[in-house]
Amino acid sequence: MRSIANPRLMLMILSAVFAFLYIPISVLFALSFNEGGLPTAWTGFSVKWYGELFRNADIMGAALNTLIVAVISTILATILGTLLAVGVEIRRRNGRFLETIIFAPMIIPDIVLAIALLSFFSLLNVTMGLHTVILSHVVFNLAFVCSVVRARLKTFDWSIVEASTDLGAPMAITLWRVVLPVMLPAVIAGALLAFTLSLDEFIIAFFTAGAGRDSITLPMQIFAMIRFGVTPEINALAAIVMTVSVVILALSQRLNRGGLPGQ
Amino acid sequence: MTDRKPLYLMTPALAWLTAFMVVPCLLILALGFFRRGIYGGIEYTFTLENVALVFDPLYASIFLKSAAIAGLSALIAVVIGYTAAFAIAAAPTRRQPTLLFFAVLPFWSNYLVRTYAWIVMLNREGLVAGIAAWLGYDGELPKMLYTETAVVIGLVYNYLPFVILACYAPLSRLNPEIAEASRDLGASAWTTFRRVILPMTVPGIATGFVFVFVLSIGNFVTPALLGGGNFQMIGNLVYAQFLTANDWPFGAALSMFLIAIMMGLLTLQTFATERASGARRED
Amino acid sequence: MTQPLLTIRNAQKRFGNVKAIDGIDLDVQENEFFALLGASGSGKTTLLRMLAGFEMPDGGEIILDGKDVSQVPPNHRPVNLMFQSYALFPHMSVAQNIAYGLEMEKLPKAQIKSRVDDILDVIQLGQLARRKPDQLSGGQRQRVALARALVKRPRLLLLDEPLGALDKKLRGDMQLELKRIQHEFGITFIIVTHDQEEALVMADRVAILKDGKLLQSGTPHEIYEHPQSRFAADFIGVMNFFPVREQGGKLVAKDGSVIAAAKKLEAGQEGVAAVRPERLHLNGDAGENSVTGTVSDIAYHGLDLQVHLKTAAAPEPVLIRLTADIAEARPISVGDTVTVNWAARDTRAFAH
Repeated sequence: MRSIANPRLMLMILSAVFAFLYIPISVLFALSFNEGGLPTAWTGFSVKWYGELFRNADIMGAALNTLIVAVISTILATILGTLLAVGVEIRRRNGRFLETIIFAPMIIPDIVLAIALLSFFSLLNVTMGLHTVILSHVVFNLAFVCSVVRARLKTFDWSIVEASTDLGAPMAITLWRVVLPVMLPAVIAGALLAFTLSLDEFIIAFFTAGAGRDSITLPMQIFAMIRFGVTPEINALAAIVMTVSVVILALSQRLNRGGLPGQ
Repeated sequence: MTDRKPLYLMTPALAWLTAFMVVPCLLILALGFFRRGIYGGIEYTFTLENVALVFDPLYASIFLKSAAIAGLSALIAVVIGYTAAFAIAAAPTRRQPTLLFFAVLPFWSNYLVRTYAWIVMLNREGLVAGIAAWLGYDGELPKMLYTETAVVIGLVYNYLPFVILACYAPLSRLNPEIAEASRDLGASAWTTFRRVILPMTVPGIATGFVFVFVLSIGNFVTPALLGGGNFQMIGNLVYAQFLTANDWPFGAALSMFLIAIMMGLLTLQTFATERASGARRED
Repeated sequence: MTQPLLTIRNAQKRFGNVKAIDGIDLDVQENEFFALLGASGSGKTTLLRMLAGFEMPDGGEIILDGKDVSQVPPNHRPVNLMFQSYALFPHMSVAQNIAYGLEMEKLPKAQIKSRVDDILDVIQLGQLARRKPDQLSGGQRQRVALARALVKRPRLLLLDEPLGALDKKLRGDMQLELKRIQHEFGITFIIVTHDQEEALVMADRVAILKDGKLLQSGTPHEIYEHPQSRFAADFIGVMNFFPVREQGGKLVAKDGSVIAAAKKLEAGQEGVAAVRPERLHLNGDAGENSVTGTVSDIAYHGLDLQVHLKTAAAPEPVLIRLTADIAEARPISVGDTVTVNWAARDTRAFAH
């Protein structure tokens, strides 16, 4: 590409795009430390809004709920998604139908899956709450874990499995000592990805959490707060939420050089 | 190896997807053809009313408006995203991963928070207004938040990283010698781009466009937060049928159309990708 | 002869409609260095994987040490395979890779360690024992893969294109190294290769495979000097072919000249007469056969000069190899008319 690109122009483009991407986020971060809390005037550095946050029982409750959902759905999705990935890659020739089903959770618009699950649960008369959110989150989480692990398996040299057998190992030992260690970084990367997706997921949780206040997750809480307008508390909360996902995903990326889905 | 063992490994996940994705989606498909009960429930008699209602001028106009906003957002996102991806692909090879990493980083953070950031930006006391005031502008600013423009900005902002990623993939895979060959054969930089680079990277553009369009047309968070209370897109309409109007069959019918649009576009995208790879095989 | 270590009897293997192995019979003796030679798709790799236990034959027997092992799973066979990709475990060090197979035998730790150390000395990688495979060069990886299979002291060591990934110079060194190690350990080696030169240099005996069938087996000398089919003659080394027809007990070439051969064709049969380039001579008394042609091309190869001769007797140019001293004694240039002679005993005949 270099042979037809003007370096100066490219630099200008990159600067503009990165400014567009990062200014809004940076403003949010800066404001979360603004003592006065107003976007128009800087009145001094303070972490008091963060303090407010931790004293807010609603927010803390919602955060705990989110953590419960994310942890449990990640564990389930990691097990299911990894097994699925191994199965699919061993088979290699999978029908289009199967591929579509595995791929679908990643591309179905959230709103469609959300109302589908809502209708499904209410027709079955299932009382909705955190458990239904967990069941629902596993759907897309397992698809993402599966795709990360599959990407790793694509570059996996299957002859090491035969080599292990040839050297006298039964299948269980081969899986434990050869396949799992080689796959582990991708499995962990997939799990971390699933974890942040679940932490941040709003729409499906919104529809499947039921009506009770007990099952509000953090994104639901944030949505409710944002509708009432800009407050310095939200700025602080937003900064924390954003930092957490970015840190976890950067970690995931580091672990898995194969890249995240789409990469 | 036999096919048995892998199936055994796949069964739990496939069972899960069947129970909590395939069946619910089929349910929605069925629901669209039932009658709405008098008190908001569902009456199990077959009807095409819901499907017909989608074409009612009132709703059809919302559909068209949603499509227009989604299309505009996708177009802007693709233009900016492709340009950015090209600039990244033109950067020194060892810097490309870092640039890409930071281009995608915002995508990993919470969607609500990223949307909220634009409320802060476009608010009457927001940063944009603040900068205008600081520059000495004291007239009445045009309303920015709670407009269609704000919705488009929000959608572009949220999905831009993905478009960059989608466009970067084919650009980075391009053999640099192909561009050099075109230059060597006498083509200008612009011609090389138009005749060689662009046709070979259409799949990335198609993927980016379809992705933004599909996610935008079904979006209800961004219109709800940046479009203000009265602004409606299909996503909000679906949301309303299920959570406030209590007309599930109509909500289901609307979702069916969303899925139909999505599938149509994905087919088009596959077609574009195949054409591009066909073009590549020829040379 | 003593009982062979390995006997393959009428082995069969189908993949869908393709007969990958089509009735192969083969004996391999204890301590032999045996090569399976063939082009890709000849079935050589399938046969090797069958011996390792990764493919079960559809029919026939594989007898190792007097027992039929054809249905024994790979982890229970006293046979080890050195994989073409080497298949080293990427997350284990060199020493851990080598120890793995011994751990599967549940040997005492001390014994494993001493055996690993010993073999590391043999392959001269003692200093790199703690390295991971991705920190090794191609040649080093190859040696680790060899050591990992060898350390188990299998009855039979299988090597799948062991030198395929190495560059030419290194390949030459490793050919000798493999022979030395095989000799030292006294283990039977079966190597799969598509490189006929490699097979001739390394193996005690060579089997040529084609379309899942065994064409010919024998010592390199037998295979080279007495090919039993046109394919074998063409596949191994370089050969000049003259289309001929049997007429009254003689082989007559297209231009009417008569070619005398060690083997006859049946009456009226069409075929080819074949002779190796190094058997063609410029001095008039080398043998009964002669052909005259125009020099079309001369290629300098250092060791020898390869001269192409356009003749009326053969559609392809006839190739002659002249050693440096002969070429200096009698300079040849393109366009010259040259007559070459060769003996009937160096000439083979194959029917179509």
